[in-house]
Amino acid sequence: MRKITALTSGFNQRVVARICHLENIQNEWRSDLNFIVKIEDSKSLELLLKLSEAGVNNVWPMARAKEILSSWAWEWVVTDFDFVFDGDVVATHDGMNHVHVLYREADSHHTVFLTNRCNSNCLMCSQPPTRHDDSWLIDEAIEVSRHIRDNPKNIGFTGGEPLLLSDDLKIVFDTFFQDHPMTEFDILSNGRLLSDSTHAKNLLRDLKANVTWMIPLYGHVEYLHDFVVQRYGAFDETLLGMLELHSYQQLIQVRTVLIEPVLENLTELCEFIGRNLPFVREVALMGCEPIGFALANRDVCNTDLRKWHSSLQESVRILERYRVPVVLMNMPLCVLPNSLKKYAQKSISDWKQKFLPECDGCAEQPDCSGVFEWFDPSKELTKLEKIEVVQYA
Amino acid sequence: MSSIETTRSLGLIPFNFHRLDTNNIVAASISGDYIFLKQNELCTLLKKPDELSSKLKNQLEAKYFVAPEGRLKRSSLRLIQSRIISKKETVLGGVSLFIVVPTLQCEHTCQYCQVSRSLNDTNYSLSKKDVDKIAEAVFQTSSNAITIEFQGGDPLLRFDLIRYAIDEIDKKRSDSDKKIRFVITSTLHQLTAEMCEYFRAKDVYLSTSIDGPAWLHNVNRPIPGKNSFERTVEGIKLARDLIGADRVSALMTTTRKSLNYANEIVDEYIRLGFNEIFIRPLSLYGFANRNIKRLGYTVQDFLDFYDQAFNRVLYWNRQGVELREATASLIFNKILSPFDAGYVDLQSPNGAGLATLVFNYDGFVYPSDEARMLAETGDQSLRLGEIGEHLSHYRNHDVVKSIVASSLSAERDGCKQCAFNNYCGPDPVSEQAQNGFMGGNVLETDHCKRNKWFFDYFFKKLKNADPCDLDLAYQWAYPAS
Repeated sequence: MRKITALTSGFNQRVVARICHLENIQNEWRSDLNFIVKIEDSKSLELLLKLSEAGVNNVWPMARAKEILSSWAWEWVVTDFDFVFDGDVVATHDGMNHVHVLYREADSHHTVFLTNRCNSNCLMCSQPPTRHDDSWLIDEAIEVSRHIRDNPKNIGFTGGEPLLLSDDLKIVFDTFFQDHPMTEFDILSNGRLLSDSTHAKNLLRDLKANVTWMIPLYGHVEYLHDFVVQRYGAFDETLLGMLELHSYQQLIQVRTVLIEPVLENLTELCEFIGRNLPFVREVALMGCEPIGFALANRDVCNTDLRKWHSSLQESVRILERYRVPVVLMNMPLCVLPNSLKKYAQKSISDWKQKFLPECDGCAEQPDCSGVFEWFDPSKELTKLEKIEVVQYA
Repeated sequence: MSSIETTRSLGLIPFNFHRLDTNNIVAASISGDYIFLKQNELCTLLKKPDELSSKLKNQLEAKYFVAPEGRLKRSSLRLIQSRIISKKETVLGGVSLFIVVPTLQCEHTCQYCQVSRSLNDTNYSLSKKDVDKIAEAVFQTSSNAITIEFQGGDPLLRFDLIRYAIDEIDKKRSDSDKKIRFVITSTLHQLTAEMCEYFRAKDVYLSTSIDGPAWLHNVNRPIPGKNSFERTVEGIKLARDLIGADRVSALMTTTRKSLNYANEIVDEYIRLGFNEIFIRPLSLYGFANRNIKRLGYTVQDFLDFYDQAFNRVLYWNRQGVELREATASLIFNKILSPFDAGYVDLQSPNGAGLATLVFNYDGFVYPSDEARMLAETGDQSLRLGEIGEHLSHYRNHDVVKSIVASSLSAERDGCKQCAFNNYCGPDPVSEQAQNGFMGGNVLETDHCKRNKWFFDYFFKKLKNADPCDLDLAYQWAYPAS
């Protein structure tokens, strides 16, 4: 999540607001939303004061310096607002010392964070779960939905494990669908709680939103998967969850993060998917994000993908034989054999992505995912190299 | 739980196996998954499965040959269940193949057919009133994708009836969301430009016969002008030009004379620009049975021929020339794909009456093409009633019940022990033709002998396949797109 350093006042509790241009406030204003407008000078503040006198109490100024706001007695934000844009949805609270950008209109990937709690404990988790009650995130997600002014092509829900929201997840879905009926939604979930068919029915029976479920699978037998997610019975529950999803015509993308114990059995896993789960829309094979537990479990998570070329090629070939589409994510093109480059996606969000010095002048950089911001070339076994001439098989 | 080591004790889930040679076995599980095993691996699996290598144990578990403590997980049961359901989609989804026989008339006097009647015999055609009833019946099926296939005789001799039938069905299809495909099986000798225009407008596909090179085809399929081959090829060309290049397919019938010319036959298909060939054995049905001594050959003769022809098909594919063989596609679909490609053959329960119905020129409905041919030879016991009843009447007929009851591969003696029973099913109608009743010893039927050989043959092919061959096998396992 993007954070922007800020000084705020008047926000006794966390609030969500939309960034709006002062000129547009008449068009965009609604009594049930909050707005923050950029104030460049005292003249524009006067306009805002007039609105306030007229009883409008949900439009607040954001200025580069506190001095500009001296005649303003209510909530305000002071920050260098070059990195906040009209249409963004932000959250803030006095004492945070920053503004969270929850939604950036210009992004191509949008993420809504629903919980930090999880019922699995994956070896390579990039966002290790916490236990405390964070149900306020549900209300915030609903606020975010209402504050988004455009109709984004796609919004992804993430956690933690969103199914832990139980029935509240349905409320989140319904709200987003009502506010953004044309949007496609993704949800990152391990699917385990859907193994309870009553729960699945409550959530999925009348689900109107167009949702793709991104469900991880790490082995063709129980103990391999359960080991990776560090929970007994998880394999059984995830498969049952996928079957429930399929029975409600939900779209499923299988997500498999490529850590060593997964790579050792990858061809068998793909065969298992092809024969047992041929209904999935797609399989995403994903490079491991070197953060969180992946750093604590380096012995299994840190791997040189070049070592696994033949296994990756064979796995992709197996999925194609079963007509299951496959994509490769979070893998820089230079670590892939030519035959697999066409499957690679530029999957890392701009704000998490970087290139290394060795990428300078690389012919494939425009199509490359790059690496995660937290990729430390001195510690990672996967080494990058400059490609002189683009070659696709 | 930090270690990947677990102490699991594996128990067996029932499965069957088939010996490919002294040291090699193919085993097939209840889910339809298969695995190649060495003799010693099979012995260890049966006696002490825990002593197998982890890699093999995992594969066996993922394919449902074994499970921890011998108990399948809930998800395994559900997965197996949903896989069985999708493999039975064709037989359980309602009638999807309607065969309509507008006439028995045909110009040919093929010795191995003789179901057909000469052009002077005008009593062998469907009445318009029956066509109306057929058009009603088509929309009573629960299946959403249906094929209406006109058979004969040579149906194009009664283009008037075909046109009437297609028009009637077309009128009704507007208020139904069924996908309907029309196929006409014909020599194409009577095909005209006018017919082609009509077929193009109505999305009609043509299926014809090419038995091989001209000399062979003309010997097999005599007509007064001795030019059956040339006239069929003319028809193919006309159809491709006026209807569409992909609208004509062909299949061949193997006679005793074909046996030495496998390569020439396959090459003829390449020369004629087909991308599919269906190498079919001579059918026992109809009058052919009587000529079996003169025209016939043993199951083994056919299979030797098939082997040669199949290798020739592979040869062309390796040259980059696409050519599918239909039997191989069927078997690969059964073995390799989790989906049912929609073939009505090798189903259990058998597709006759469940997935297929024949509306015959004689005003009666039969469960399959073979059943109506059997009626021509005097055995009319498989009739399901007159044309004009509701579809459910035919489906619930005692004959269909008997076909279903005697075609369950998991229950029939001889089938239930067979390693291939997940991919195969008995053919009660051919049993009726061969023995005069349904049932009896499955292992003695030509159907069983031939298909057992096919499964053995294709499992050996799969076992020795290089990755490119395997790609091809999987490609064929799914319907051509």
